Amino acid sequence: MTFTRIAAIAVSIGSLLGVAGCAPAAPSSEPIVIGSQAYYSNEIIAEAYALVLEDAGYTVERQFALGQRDVYLPALEAGEIDLFPEYTGNLLQFFVPTATETAADDVYAALATSLPEGLTALAMSPASDQDSYNVTQDFATANNLESIADLATLDGLTLGGAPELAERPYGPTGLLDKYGVTVTFEATGDTTVESLVAGIVDMANVYSADPRIQQLGLVTLTDPLGLFLASNVVPIASDTVSADARALIDAVSAAMSAEDLVALNVRSVDEKLSAAVIARDWLVAEGLLD
Amino acid sequence: MRDTETLWSWLSTIDNWVGRYGLWNLIGEHLAFTVIAISTAAIIAIPLGLAIGHTGRGEFVVIGLGSISRAIPTMGLLFALVLVMGVTFRELSVVLALTAIAIPPLIAGAFSGVTTIPAWIRDAATAQGMTAWQVLRLVEIPLATPSIIGGVRIAYIQVVSTVVLAPLVGLGGVGFGIVQGLALRNFAQVTASSLVIILITVLGERLIGWAQRRAGARLEAPQLREKS
Repeated sequence: MTFTRIAAIAVSIGSLLGVAGCAPAAPSSEPIVIGSQAYYSNEIIAEAYALVLEDAGYTVERQFALGQRDVYLPALEAGEIDLFPEYTGNLLQFFVPTATETAADDVYAALATSLPEGLTALAMSPASDQDSYNVTQDFATANNLESIADLATLDGLTLGGAPELAERPYGPTGLLDKYGVTVTFEATGDTTVESLVAGIVDMANVYSADPRIQQLGLVTLTDPLGLFLASNVVPIASDTVSADARALIDAVSAAMSAEDLVALNVRSVDEKLSAAVIARDWLVAEGLLD
Repeated sequence: MRDTETLWSWLSTIDNWVGRYGLWNLIGEHLAFTVIAISTAAIIAIPLGLAIGHTGRGEFVVIGLGSISRAIPTMGLLFALVLVMGVTFRELSVVLALTAIAIPPLIAGAFSGVTTIPAWIRDAATAQGMTAWQVLRLVEIPLATPSIIGGVRIAYIQVVSTVVLAPLVGLGGVGFGIVQGLALRNFAQVTASSLVIILITVLGERLIGWAQRRAGARLEAPQLREKS
């Protein structure tokens, strides 16, 4: 190795340090790594976080579409990801499979105490994306259905959903215990909504922010006895996220209503826009971005 | 050791074996899909492979199908078929997707079974006054049988391991235990289901392999061995 090369390396290291030293003091020079699930709706929320942070001068690194909790939670715990949009109920269930809380505030409180060391649940958003039981408009009209409780008088009901629904506390067992509703479970997997519309199943478990509920005119049955865990959007932050950055994210969470989230999802599915465009338009409309 | 114990306790719980999504029912569905798909494929592929081998025409079909089958993503094909045909016909979609992957090895088995027969055997048959049809029926098909069964053996391994995808479109089969177990983080269930799939695959393959050897041994007539 020649002296010139060593000198060049020395200079470049020096300049790197220099640049880092000159960076604006408030936002840290370390990029904030934002993750998201491989779920379009989750990606839009993550993008909204990224945009407001970038607007405030933070450097952001996007690690989107990271798949399931088994994959990304270890990375979050290890500090490889700093910020992640999550859902209170589903995340609580991941850490505490036997959790019995169902009301939004209870779920949030339980989640706060069950998160691993180094991770914090920031303020939750009014927007939620949670399990819900849906029927077709025709089926609802024919049987005069509004609430899950109205199903108790019906015989031979079939329930469609992901395979794991069979074992979930709000699955067939919960329906029977809480509402006296007997169902035969049919694991319809990724084709759940299609199966409901095709009449293969009578009722189906669909996420409440799924645009297809609106588009196909499905009727979401109300849950007066609290069978489902509330699952509000909640940012999970590592300790490295500064208080200033947290305040920016809290503002995003507060601004997002349940209807907003559905509207964002509808734009994604209908207009096929990228998460960045949808998130930016919404932030501008909410006055969080110029 | 603790993991082995949870696995054992999962396997020895009767509830995991009976009912709509119990292992017995899932194994039955798994094998039913496999057998139906391979039978459907065999009806198309074996006569086609024999015809190509017998006439020597259309060999590009064998080579082409062999390459295409490696390039088609089975999962994509499955989802595309369900999308096109609708969920009402999802069983049919799965069978079609499985049939599609079973056809190439079956054609190849039948084809190479016929083409590897030494020319002198065929010539001798013709010299005895056999018609082309008789040559095929009395000479070529019996001699090609071990190779045809070999094709079935490969098709079986491919199909039986692809049925695992069926629960993704809302159908059963032992893959259900893997898809459900992963979502529930019930790793005993995932491991048990995987073991069952491995067992079905290996046992089935052994069984077909045994049939293939039996068919081969039957042909080991002394006069054939001397000449070839």
